[in-house]
Amino acid sequence: MHQHAHPAPATHLTTALDRVFKVGVGGPVGSGKTALIEALVPILLRRGHSVGVITNDIYTQEDADHVRRTLDGVLDPARIMGVETGSCPHTAVRDDPSMNLAAGAELLERFGDIDTLLYESGGDNLTLTFSPLLADVYVFVLDTGEGDKMPRKRGPGITDSDLLVINKIDIAPYVRADLDVMARDADRVREGRPVILTDALRGTGLPEVADFITSRRRACSPSA
Amino acid sequence: MSLLAQLQLADSAFPGGLYTLSHGLESYAQAGPVDVAALLEDVLLHAAGPGDATALVLAHRAVRRDDWDTVVAVDQRLHAIKLNRELRAAATRTGNQVLRTAATVFATPELLRLVELTGAGATPGNHAVVLGTAYAGLGVAEDGAVTGDLYAFAASWVSAAVRLRRLDFRQAQATLYGAGPAIERAAAAALAARDPLDLYAATPIADTMSCAHERATARLFTT
Repeated sequence: MHQHAHPAPATHLTTALDRVFKVGVGGPVGSGKTALIEALVPILLRRGHSVGVITNDIYTQEDADHVRRTLDGVLDPARIMGVETGSCPHTAVRDDPSMNLAAGAELLERFGDIDTLLYESGGDNLTLTFSPLLADVYVFVLDTGEGDKMPRKRGPGITDSDLLVINKIDIAPYVRADLDVMARDADRVREGRPVILTDALRGTGLPEVADFITSRRRACSPSA
Repeated sequence: MSLLAQLQLADSAFPGGLYTLSHGLESYAQAGPVDVAALLEDVLLHAAGPGDATALVLAHRAVRRDDWDTVVAVDQRLHAIKLNRELRAAATRTGNQVLRTAATVFATPELLRLVELTGAGATPGNHAVVLGTAYAGLGVAEDGAVTGDLYAFAASWVSAAVRLRRLDFRQAQATLYGAGPAIERAAAAALAARDPLDLYAATPIADTMSCAHERATARLFTT
């Protein structure tokens, strides 16, 4: 057989997708991943970026359709794609993100001006992480409705993500969640990595999330 | 080493997105009761065998004799006989992703040539053609390559059936083992092919079910 000791130089295999800044957004079902993306897109557009969105719905195209409706008149619906994951949401963004990479490549083929791709994972558990090949930056979204014990439960999503967002701070009093406890525990288990408290529907904390993403864009691609 | 390379490529752990495909089964499951084993046998003998498996064999042979025009002809013919947009997209999405990973991992000149051809838009890069190219470059014999690929297809099929709750995990393994004779027949037919025009698929009901799947409001799988 032919045996090759060294892999091909990476330049032979790089594609447009490798050169685009990719942001992964993961977290439990209903924590506000879709709302976060819907609020972030207009901010990123105002800051001069060209955006594409890929959602990983579990069973329907509900998230993709919701993003299209909410961003009607803001973002061309053709720049939003839904990808089915065969009931394996974590596999689709971590172990084998082939279909997400293929969807990203197709979006870039149609819209060569895109400089930022937002990947929303299907709702999953606290162990969800993104493959570094799929996302340059990985944002994990919790919400106060899940209970203020959540940051203490840890899991790689909470402890290892580049940014932890604690969403729905507006409903904290109604679900008996202590925001101070959540923020303190999150800081402790993340050993100082950033945590931002948000209300995605009213926009609280969203500029800070956008600032974080912008700062990481510079770190990931100095020429940007 | 060729056996190890074949095991690695045929393993469901090799990234290619196959776990997002039900190969048409989801649409049948949504329509009502389905005999998973009988349908698998039909699909092996009338679609996967004369279509994808045959393309794998013909691409393998063409790569071995450095005949890239025929590789492209096989790839284009396979693309043409996949009647549904979903099935065509799935075959090229999985194919191109496997190609990029395999070219990085195995780095054979044959895979790198196919990267060039697909990158230039000269050929679609169907999954079966990518695998035929990979196996040829890695020295995996065509009979073992096609049998292993049909096995991987059947394993993917029963895995989808488990997730669709049409089989439990023990029934799935029994179904997979029971598909052995159909896999052997499909492989033998694929190995008997001589020309890209020998590629075909004849599954009108499955094609119709795939059409319905494209517009299904709820679905776990891409196909």
